[in-house]
Amino acid sequence: MKFVVNSVKSGGCRLGVMSDFGLHGKKIVETPMCMLYTRRGSAPHLTADMLKKIQWLPPMAQMSVTNMIEHHEAIEAYKQGIGKFANMKDYIVYTALHDPATEVMSGQNDTATVGVWSKSGKVRLDVEMFVKVQEAFKPDMYQALSDGDTDLKAGKKRTNKSVTRTLTYLDDILERLPKSQVLKDAAIFGVIEGGNSEFERCRSARETASRDVAGFVIEGFHNQGPQTELFKISDIRDIFKTTLECLPEEKPRLMHGAFPPDQVLEALELGLDVFDSSYPYHVTERGGALVFDFVHIADPEDMDGNKAVQKGWEIDLNDKKYFEDFGPLIEDCSCYTCKNFSRAYINHLRNTSELLGSVLLMIHNFQHYFNYFEAIRRALAEDKYEQLKTHITKQKKYIRLLTLTFILSQTVYVAVQTESGLRQWP
Amino acid sequence: MASKGTHALSLRILAECKTTKARTCKLHLPHYVVDTPVFMPVGTQGTLKGLVPEQLEELDCKIMLGNTYHLGNRPGHELLKKAGGLHNFMKWNRCLLTDSGGFQMVSLLKLAEITEEGVKFQSPHDDSEMMLTPEMSIQIQNAIGADIIMQLDDVVHSCVTGPRVEEAMYRTIRWLDRCLKAHQRPHDQNIFPIVQGGLYPELRKKCVQELIKREVPGYAIGGLSGGESKDDFWRMVTLSTEYLPKDKPRYLMGVGFAVDLVVCVALGCDMFDCVFPTRTARFGNALVPTGNLSLKNKKYAKDFSPIDDQCPCSTCKQYTRAYLHTIVTNETVSCQLLSVHNVAYQLTLMTGIQQSIVEDRFPQLIQDFFDKQFPDTDYPQWAVDALASVNVNIKKS
Ligand SMILES: [Zn+2]
Ligand SMILES: [Zn+2]
Repeated sequence: MKFVVNSVKSGGCRLGVMSDFGLHGKKIVETPMCMLYTRRGSAPHLTADMLKKIQWLPPMAQMSVTNMIEHHEAIEAYKQGIGKFANMKDYIVYTALHDPATEVMSGQNDTATVGVWSKSGKVRLDVEMFVKVQEAFKPDMYQALSDGDTDLKAGKKRTNKSVTRTLTYLDDILERLPKSQVLKDAAIFGVIEGGNSEFERCRSARETASRDVAGFVIEGFHNQGPQTELFKISDIRDIFKTTLECLPEEKPRLMHGAFPPDQVLEALELGLDVFDSSYPYHVTERGGALVFDFVHIADPEDMDGNKAVQKGWEIDLNDKKYFEDFGPLIEDCSCYTCKNFSRAYINHLRNTSELLGSVLLMIHNFQHYFNYFEAIRRALAEDKYEQLKTHITKQKKYIRLLTLTFILSQTVYVAVQTESGLRQWP
Repeated sequence: MASKGTHALSLRILAECKTTKARTCKLHLPHYVVDTPVFMPVGTQGTLKGLVPEQLEELDCKIMLGNTYHLGNRPGHELLKKAGGLHNFMKWNRCLLTDSGGFQMVSLLKLAEITEEGVKFQSPHDDSEMMLTPEMSIQIQNAIGADIIMQLDDVVHSCVTGPRVEEAMYRTIRWLDRCLKAHQRPHDQNIFPIVQGGLYPELRKKCVQELIKREVPGYAIGGLSGGESKDDFWRMVTLSTEYLPKDKPRYLMGVGFAVDLVVCVALGCDMFDCVFPTRTARFGNALVPTGNLSLKNKKYAKDFSPIDDQCPCSTCKQYTRAYLHTIVTNETVSCQLLSVHNVAYQLTLMTGIQQSIVEDRFPQLIQDFFDKQFPDTDYPQWAVDALASVNVNIKKS
């Protein structure tokens, strides 16, 4: 894989291009980019036919080792990799270690292995097994085995251990790789750990950067899952910045987790290039539709952008107020859902727990989020990033959250928004 | 041949089987032309297992079902009226059929009680007492706006015997008259009466004789497929079609297993519905000419062939059994993929039957079908008897 940073724009945002992928040599990916989030190889709720209805789909899909590890023997027997196995052969495949939409349980790792949970129980993944699984999956890009079991509160000892172990795994993998014919064209991403310790972060970044890796995954700030939606990049701005300064400019940086629209911008400014789309998935799971506006920033009739400013990022389709609302989710949205179905119908599907509700919301939310990334790239290229940011920040002010209840064991949580009890968030 | 009259329906018989009572027809309905014999998938609450209408159109599905009881509850007929009917609400431009709500009420609600006025039941929401009268059932169905609607009938479990069956049969006829009177949209909705009479041939015959005195566009055969013996089942079906007029469609309610479809087409039925094909999809079962595949089974883990290499559906064109094995019952996508395939299986079976009737080789299709379903020639006796009654003797080859 090749990566070129074409320019560094306002506040530190990078415009780049990835190319020369293993199995998908001809594909070109523009960054900043958001990968397609998948579960067991398929886009959530969407068959291949329905997925095709989405515009601005990224060329890269993110799949997780955790999701599919119990099937690695079947995929190995298939011989053509996980992408084609899952009927996603047109996508550049990146395999992450964990599912970014599911919280990773703490305390599962030891010196030689990383504990991952599959449907049939805990699997101890050592380097040998890890390489074997990747050889079966045949990704274009993959995250190295890592011990990311830290968060901002992690102690010194745990943080130190996670960095040391992750470096050891990387060295063992790199030693094993020359023997692998299959993975010779796949790009390995080294993993930067270090919790909230600037010292460990820098050690992890410098050491990893000195190894032969194609890019970097920034991990260990949180334990993945739905609650990452509340994670604030601003809380780690300084340490994040210092960490990335230890990394070479010319390699891509990726971070997993749910990034609401304002967080995407904050992360971009710190120099992140690649994201996953678990955020629109979480929104879909709770019955929400993304409505934040990024289209009308240059509307001359609406100089300050107030007309198009949405009150919050999303609307709640479980809400009775949409019972008789025969309009689309967003008036001028060009997605398949908005062109065909009404808020009232989706409200009915949510009320009756019908599958189609998730299908229709997933289509809209994916398209909206991918289109947002397109708008960001365009704004950067046309030097309109500051306007876009102002426009997004205005909408952030309106977010009202009365309660946000997490059901930690699930990827599902319920956000209750009410008219009363306005509270500024954050 | 066409019978139009005042109805929003016409039936043109394309061909009749020279051996059995089967026929293939063009059924013209307000929203679309349906080829019969037809299988109608069931989209209970205005949607079918996560599929969009476009996917059903790609399968060449021309008519589907909605359930009045569920739709009357949620979103309610007032909203459906405002939405311009169920067609518009769910964006399905082809034909719809709704049941009366009575069957669902009696089978889903423990406390339903039938009086002359209607079906009395406890509201599932607040325990208050409610009443579904024939008039109300039609009012709701008029708001839903399906191409074919059902009269409210007095539903008796098919294993009940004695005077209750006779009472229900006569009440069904009285309720039909109330339904016909209440029907506000005869110009664009077709109401079907329902043949009742339990497992009593004399009552069934009497019921049909009463129904055909009324001016109605088609008929449904009800009160079957509820746990009675298959032997009783097929005899009641064939008796009902015997007395029903040939120029109107016959809809056998709640029947949709492949074997039952093939036999009951031979006995002269035109329309069928069943939740089974889509319900079983949710549990990871795929219908194939040899029966069904339980894709949860480990033996499919390394099976890289499609569910059925002869099947024209988009699932079989794109997905392997091995991949489906990894997602069945885990990811909702599997439910959609298997529903597409299972609906395709049912519809392909029916178009095959239609074609064979036109070419007058339906008896051969029956033999081939049974050979595949029962490779050990352990044909169910009731099917052998039923087919023999219409001059088809399936051979144990
Ligand atoms: Zn939309
Ligand atoms: Zn198929």
